Amino acid sequence: MRKIRVLVAKPGLDGHDRGALIISQALRDAGMEVIYTGLRQTPKKIVKAAIQEDVDAIGLSSLSGAHNVLFPEVVKLLKTENAEDILVFGGGVIPYEDIKNLEQNGIKKIFTPGTSTKTIAAFIEKAVMEKRNGQLGILDPPNGIDHIGIAVRSIDDALLFYRNHFSIEVEKVVEVESQQVKVAFLPLTNCKLELLEPLSDDGAIAKFINKKGEGIHHIAFSVNSLQDRLDQLKKEGVKLINETPKNGAGGYPIAFLHPKNANGVLVELCETHNNEGDE
Amino acid sequence: MGKDRSTELGTDQQSERNEKKTDVIERKEQFKTSSSIPIERVYLPNQINGMYMEKLGLPGQYPYTRGIRRTMYRGRYWTMRQYAGFGSASETNKRFRYLLEQGQSGLSVAFDLPTQIGYDSDDPMALGEVGKVGVAIDTLDDMELLFKGISLDKVSTSMTINAPAAILLAMYIVVAEKQGVSQKSIKGTIQNDILKEYIARGTYIFPPQPSMRMITDIFAYCSEHTPKFNTISISGYHIREAGSTAVQELAFTLANAMAYVDAALKTGLSVDQIAPRIAFFFNGHNQFFEEIAKFRAARRMWAKIMKEKYGAEKEKSMQLRFHTQVAGSTLTAQQPDNNIVRVAIQALAAVLGGTQSLHTNAKDEALSLPTEESAQIALRTQQIIAHETGVTDTVDPLGGSYFIEALTDEMEKEATAYLKEIDKRGGAVSAIEQQYMQREIQRNAYESNKKVEVEEDIVVGVNKYQLEEEPQTELLRIDEAFVEEQVNRIQHIRNSRNNTEVKNCLANLKHAAADSSVNIMPYIIAAVKEYCTVGEICHALREVFGEY
Repeated sequence: MRKIRVLVAKPGLDGHDRGALIISQALRDAGMEVIYTGLRQTPKKIVKAAIQEDVDAIGLSSLSGAHNVLFPEVVKLLKTENAEDILVFGGGVIPYEDIKNLEQNGIKKIFTPGTSTKTIAAFIEKAVMEKRNGQLGILDPPNGIDHIGIAVRSIDDALLFYRNHFSIEVEKVVEVESQQVKVAFLPLTNCKLELLEPLSDDGAIAKFINKKGEGIHHIAFSVNSLQDRLDQLKKEGVKLINETPKNGAGGYPIAFLHPKNANGVLVELCETHNNEGDE
Repeated sequence: MGKDRSTELGTDQQSERNEKKTDVIERKEQFKTSSSIPIERVYLPNQINGMYMEKLGLPGQYPYTRGIRRTMYRGRYWTMRQYAGFGSASETNKRFRYLLEQGQSGLSVAFDLPTQIGYDSDDPMALGEVGKVGVAIDTLDDMELLFKGISLDKVSTSMTINAPAAILLAMYIVVAEKQGVSQKSIKGTIQNDILKEYIARGTYIFPPQPSMRMITDIFAYCSEHTPKFNTISISGYHIREAGSTAVQELAFTLANAMAYVDAALKTGLSVDQIAPRIAFFFNGHNQFFEEIAKFRAARRMWAKIMKEKYGAEKEKSMQLRFHTQVAGSTLTAQQPDNNIVRVAIQALAAVLGGTQSLHTNAKDEALSLPTEESAQIALRTQQIIAHETGVTDTVDPLGGSYFIEALTDEMEKEATAYLKEIDKRGGAVSAIEQQYMQREIQRNAYESNKKVEVEEDIVVGVNKYQLEEEPQTELLRIDEAFVEEQVNRIQHIRNSRNNTEVKNCLANLKHAAADSSVNIMPYIIAAVKEYCTVGEICHALREVFGEY
């Protein structure tokens, strides 16, 4: 695995870099690769260096009171450069009441004087790994099964089985015009069943029933980073039915993969989890 | 050692006591303890031998180990000088007047970083920094406002300014003249110590060589025109703040001092012309006895260096006068009230070490600039030491302590070893260019931080005796609206001044800068009078000197 790379930077005109130098050395001792910018860096220069050096994180240090202007500026420029995946943390002479504001403005964490360098190193490591996993979450297994789709001729008829023998209730019934399908949602504690009834002879479900008869139609995995995952699957040579996510009947983005790659199973991916921190 | 030792002073010392009446005026007829035990001016060993005289001497006598004045604080207290300045010139002017009313005896100006690095308040490089760590000064107009209602013949003013020291000094001279005060009578100090900027503090503009030339130009100008102004304050303070040991602070400061003297001698100035106007600035750190020993060793080393190496003859050339600021880096953000105690102990060490002036930090400076209340406690701390503790009633009260004298000797020995190493590297300027001092400091900074982390060194409230919930404290906020006002002020000046003259002045300045045989001070004064901005003047000089 690639070593964590950190840019330690002194934005503004402040010349006190004892802290920045100590942090740099401590992060190196913690096994990271550290680039120190030296004094008097504009936010622009810092962002440029961070991108050139392909770092995972930027550590900003200011003791002159200019943090409220300069730190958010770095975050803003990272966004314009599409490099907001680079984490920003900071430290220096920073009053407590400024910290919340800075952290709301995209600074991942502010470390006040007296923080141990170990705490800082551990924080960066965790944040970077989380970020990396968030990005590369597409390589992780899905979070679970969101639902199982079952093709039926008539929802009303099929429900008799689930209601009479298992006391499973219907949460809602939705008609999806574009797919010519009516969907009944039957929630279980960790999964749902979707009963799919064709609205006409034209839709995918009608064709499926005509071809194979009633039965299990698809399995839906719950995932995050749906678009990234689709891109990655495409790169890996998986045939996709939907190359970009579309809105599913459940109210969240979904996409279908072609059954060919899954030994005849139609796989649906549901983005029930957003990218932010959720597993 | 007892009280009667001083009554057994040799006749030499006795007669000398009576010689200069002015030097022996003391605050009181008689000094006594609370139990009415009389306190003598100075206490001496049973036997005053040659060894004692060579290493310690009497206060006010070579090698000045025990102090540069015979009476020290029995004559006059140190100058209580609190560094202040933030936001606009008018805001800072108010704080100055407040401090003077509170009994402060000298002013100390903090400039914001754009001023210190030669950028105007409306320069893009100044983004976020205007008025933050000090007052923003763009033109003479701001300087006039800064000292409005303060007579420059009545106060002494210390200015923490280095790379553009010549410009701010020029402004001060012109403001004095406008008040009808002759430059001959202005008193104060400019820091003007560029070498430690490269080592530790970071507000350099030009490369070392032209920077040294500007400094010697100031020496030459001031020795003639402003004889009461200290032209340099050679600073160990920032070296220590950057993480050096006490010995390194001592050694690197003296090494830098020698580099300035060497540079001045090369331009044809004599040692006795410049040395009396050299002041020092040290850190007052936590290790109580080591700090006291450091100040005493510094005096002895400097006296020897001036006499033996440079052949100085004037007493004043050999007397190391110094300002002390207690160590900002020892302030903790956690439990900030504890800092009051740290500051008091550090300040006491400075007083017992014989400082000439003192700045005590405010308790909240690990978090922001001090509030008025915390600045007042800081000043009161000095006043309590001066008026309530009695430590000022005898000169060098710790002189003769086995521990203090041994530490003083040892620090001198170790600092001398560093001086030899620096000399081998071609002097301070070369050693700085080789990053020698920077690396030494960095190594120690990292080591001492580690000691705190593994709890080998205890910092109360940080790695021991922590509180679960930190109490919130009131902090000083700088009104951001003032930045726009400052930008408007500078733009108004640019539109209302005589811009033809401005152009001429800047062109003349560039010519003068290009010819190292010309003193640039008069050209800077001329430019300042025409309301050229700090940024414009520095930019003109950058074009000639280049940037570091």
